[in-house]
Amino acid sequence: MTTVAATGLNVATPRAVVLPAARLHAPVRLNYPWKFVSMNRMVMSVKATSEGEISDKVEKSIQEAKETCADDPVSGECVAAWDEVEELSAAASHARDKKKAGGSDPLEEYCSDNPETDECRTYDN
Amino acid sequence: MAVSTIYSTQALNSTHFLTSSPSSSSSKQVFFYRRHQSQTNRRFNTIITCAAQQQTVVIGLAADSGCGKSTFMRRLTSVFGGAAEPPKGGNPDSNTLISDMTSVICLDDYHSLDRTGRKEKGVTALDPRANDFDLMYEQVKALKSGIAVEKPIYNHVTGLLDAPELIQPPKILVIEGLHPMFDERVRDLLDFSIYLDISNEVKFAWKIQRDMAERGHSLESIKASIEARKPDFDAFIDPQKQYADAVIEVLPTQLIPDDNEGKVLRVRLIMKEGVKYFSPVYLFDEGSTISWIPCGRKLTCSYPGIKFDYAPDSYFDHEVSVVEMDGQFDRLDELIYVESHLSNLSTKFYGEVTQQMLKHADFPGSNNGTGLFQTIVGLKIRDLYEQLIANKATAPAEAAKA
Repeated sequence: MTTVAATGLNVATPRAVVLPAARLHAPVRLNYPWKFVSMNRMVMSVKATSEGEISDKVEKSIQEAKETCADDPVSGECVAAWDEVEELSAAASHARDKKKAGGSDPLEEYCSDNPETDECRTYDN
Repeated sequence: MAVSTIYSTQALNSTHFLTSSPSSSSSKQVFFYRRHQSQTNRRFNTIITCAAQQQTVVIGLAADSGCGKSTFMRRLTSVFGGAAEPPKGGNPDSNTLISDMTSVICLDDYHSLDRTGRKEKGVTALDPRANDFDLMYEQVKALKSGIAVEKPIYNHVTGLLDAPELIQPPKILVIEGLHPMFDERVRDLLDFSIYLDISNEVKFAWKIQRDMAERGHSLESIKASIEARKPDFDAFIDPQKQYADAVIEVLPTQLIPDDNEGKVLRVRLIMKEGVKYFSPVYLFDEGSTISWIPCGRKLTCSYPGIKFDYAPDSYFDHEVSVVEMDGQFDRLDELIYVESHLSNLSTKFYGEVTQQMLKHADFPGSNNGTGLFQTIVGLKIRDLYEQLIANKATAPAEAAKA
């Protein structure tokens, strides 16, 4: 009996339950906005690649290029392999320049990005 | 850019006024409002930015061997003021540089094939088949008309195409890479184009300097790399120099016989005649042929000295003027002496070229023609930009009058 009644209730109530709940949500959300904020943001931590990795890649790519070209010096694969070597060498040299240019002092880096923080304020007079 | 805040529906339905931050008189403003309330909508402030008041000036720079923080870009952005940096908070391997006035976009971001894709197909990055010219054209066109775009990022380290980044239309957009002038539609969008033509001997010397410190590289591998890329380079990249408005050609010096170090360079600035808003630099007398050695009684130079040449010429069936510098600057007064004898530099004050060169004395090429001509081209671009903006400002006024 109860099951029949329950099912009967279940059939009847969904329509009745949903609407008032929806109407309820909006004003409730207004009163407690912090409760209903969806934290859907994807936190993508993109790490800057380190110099050692690039150097290893350069070395590996040169090996590969030599191997590919040993078979057929004029094929597209050989040319593409040496192009990859060139690209990686350029990336390596840029990484070296960037490191030389100013990656050494973490405070300087932080201050160039956030000059208004207390640690970084400068006074002229 | 005009920034307008859109208030919630409740505010609009009441007697609140919609205020927007003060913007320049020529900006268009777009107002959005909802006519009926709906309780389930979120009450967040919406900010709509309108950037309809400026036309972006687009500069193209063709240079081999990848993009990035190249010296020319830094000199160029420095002429306009401020340093160009990668977008903050974004992908640290992004190739884009942004400053107040300029944004530099690397055309490698428009690769259609990533590194593995290219390896499978056996194509180099120089090949047009590895690049998406349709996307390049659409996005440059959008940026030129003041619409922000989501530009893909090509990560040079991993060789993959990363998630796109949002690029706002800047006042000056510089597109730098291997193929800025390859596609005809993109070429028509460029207001000014430059090609850096490095001769084979100099390229070899520079690559040795760059790569010998890298373990795994040897003289043979560097040589093999250059030679493997040469056919594609000659077929696809080199022909772009006929379309460029200015070509900076770097050759080995003629002052030192049998020099193979590549430290002293002979640099030629080839400027196309008849380009709108661009007046070529000249020495002493426009259209004449001059050969000038500034070292002598008034100026003492150390070996090998400095030699200048100026002459009209023909380059790929175009009329051009060529200013050539062979040698090196050793001292400040040599630089200022030379600057005072060059004409049509588009400087705003006496000594501006020297000041710009000294500001970046640590950049490569600061003591020879590469730095000098790059700085001069930067000043020319500034002049072109100011003339274009002035022209655009007067054009609507004239249209209103008519």
